[in-house]
Amino acid sequence: MSAQPKQSGREPVLEARGISKSYGAVQALTGVDIALYPGEVLGLVGDNGAGKTTLVKCLSGVLRPDSGEIHIDGDVQGELTAERARTLGIETVYQNLSLVDTLDVMQNFFLNREIVYNNPVARPLRWMNRRRMYRDTDAHLKALSLPVDARRPVSALSGGQRQMIAVARAITWGRHIVMFDEPAAALGVRQSIQVLNFVRSMAARGVAVLFISHNMQHVLQVTDRIVVLRHGEKVGDLATAGATAQQIVTLITGSELVVEGQDISV
Amino acid sequence: MTETPPQTAEPPAQPSWGSAGVGLLRTRLTRASSSLRALGTLFALGLIWLFFALESQYFFTTSNIWNILLQAANIGIIAAGLTVVMIAAEIDLSIGSLEALAGSVAAVIIIQHHQPFWLGVTGALGAAVLAGAISGLITWKLKVVSFISTLAMLGIAQGIAFLLTNGHAIAGFGNPYDQIGTWTIDGFPGAAIIAAGVFVVLHLMLTRTTFGLQIYAVGGNPEAAAYAGIRPGRVKLIALMISGLTGGIGGLILSSRLDAGNGLFGAGDLLAAVAAVVIGGTSLFGGVGSVVGTAIGVVMISSINNGLILMNVPDFWQQIVVGVIIIAAMAVDQLAKAARLAVR
Repeated sequence: MSAQPKQSGREPVLEARGISKSYGAVQALTGVDIALYPGEVLGLVGDNGAGKTTLVKCLSGVLRPDSGEIHIDGDVQGELTAERARTLGIETVYQNLSLVDTLDVMQNFFLNREIVYNNPVARPLRWMNRRRMYRDTDAHLKALSLPVDARRPVSALSGGQRQMIAVARAITWGRHIVMFDEPAAALGVRQSIQVLNFVRSMAARGVAVLFISHNMQHVLQVTDRIVVLRHGEKVGDLATAGATAQQIVTLITGSELVVEGQDISV
Repeated sequence: MTETPPQTAEPPAQPSWGSAGVGLLRTRLTRASSSLRALGTLFALGLIWLFFALESQYFFTTSNIWNILLQAANIGIIAAGLTVVMIAAEIDLSIGSLEALAGSVAAVIIIQHHQPFWLGVTGALGAAVLAGAISGLITWKLKVVSFISTLAMLGIAQGIAFLLTNGHAIAGFGNPYDQIGTWTIDGFPGAAIIAAGVFVVLHLMLTRTTFGLQIYAVGGNPEAAAYAGIRPGRVKLIALMISGLTGGIGGLILSSRLDAGNGLFGAGDLLAAVAAVVIGGTSLFGGVGSVVGTAIGVVMISSINNGLILMNVPDFWQQIVVGVIIIAAMAVDQLAKAARLAVR
């Protein structure tokens, strides 16, 4: 058990205990404990293959862990599915873009949470109110200062724009918990800063945020606490305040690889 | 569903969002390419009509146009269901056999067992939907691609149809079954009205309902759909049940017109249906397509078949022409795809 930093008596909104997952002979996660608190940004770092993405997929219900428990708001969830996670207000921005290129921006934005007309004929047919969804998507994007037409097909957007749409969708619908898996990988400098600002402002609204990045500057800048994974195991859980990049890199790699004073970006 | 946009901290004043002008151009080009394709298909249809009108004075008569629509009806119905499946990035090779199965089930129930009309129709449609459901479940639960599961169903359904009819045609439905595919309003074929109804229902389902959006999403990117909480296997199962149902409706019309049930009926329809769907611009890779395009494709195939008959071209040429059209339509799509990528 690694030392848990003090959480000022607050209850975690998400608590996972003993999460293990293997793909065939490859053990991706071994008994990982992790907790997310409201208003806190938790950084999740680790080398390639350390199990970060697998852990996020378990926490978002996309993958079912081989063993372990995931509690949301203290409740024991029978089985956390992707569908269930989203009804609980959990949103995730995946590293490999989670948009459907052949649909337009609105259709992606509202995918599986469409607004249907609320009358006795339309409701059972799940008849969509498309005008309202286009209007709302434009409003949501505008509120996030992302000027893109909701009617644009995603295939017509640049990689960075697509990623920002995925980010905007998660921010808009993630009332409770939002997880970012390498959100800045496809982004330019300015868009990355925009995402970091979004992360902080969500935490300020009381959302629990999980933030995965290889960029140590970003992690140190935006997180309150950092969990380090190595070979599928949790090897560190420390407050960001007072932590140094070298300390974290040492935990990630398991050895002192870094020359003192060097600027680190793993 | 929240109505108000979320509150967030002010992002940088100047969003790094690429030039708006280029973006707009891209939107227009992407949109234009699909409507351009539809226009091109209509243009080709016009040329075909012009050609046959010049070759045969009979081609553009009212009765011949009604005839074309009648011939288009059951190919059209099964092609509409196939479109739904192909948008979901699957395929249904069994639709021709499902026509045979439905017709044979109806013949056994109504002719051999003297049961009422409604029971025959229900049994026929039920058998076809069940066959689609079995293909869908095999694809979903056993993770066998639909190319294989429906290829197997092609054989199984036709085999069952032959078993039911003992290899013969069971003929003589009588009224009202023999009216399903033959009723007319002032000479206009009722089967074409049924087909139009199927197209309208499936078009509205695809474009207006949440399930339609799920079909496009699952076909476009099943992983992203799953992340959004959609179960791709379930969506594909329902898509295959829909094509089972349309196969059944096509079988009712076909067996009604021929006034018999047999394992061979509908066997050649798969080729024509696939041709209609790909002419209509539905992608073999899923996520893209419409039943409106398929309707144009069906009329084109039906016009070609009809025109060739009027020109006294031997039957077997029709199959060759349809095959060549499939290849041509795919080639046009590949070229268009390459052009789109070049634009980006």
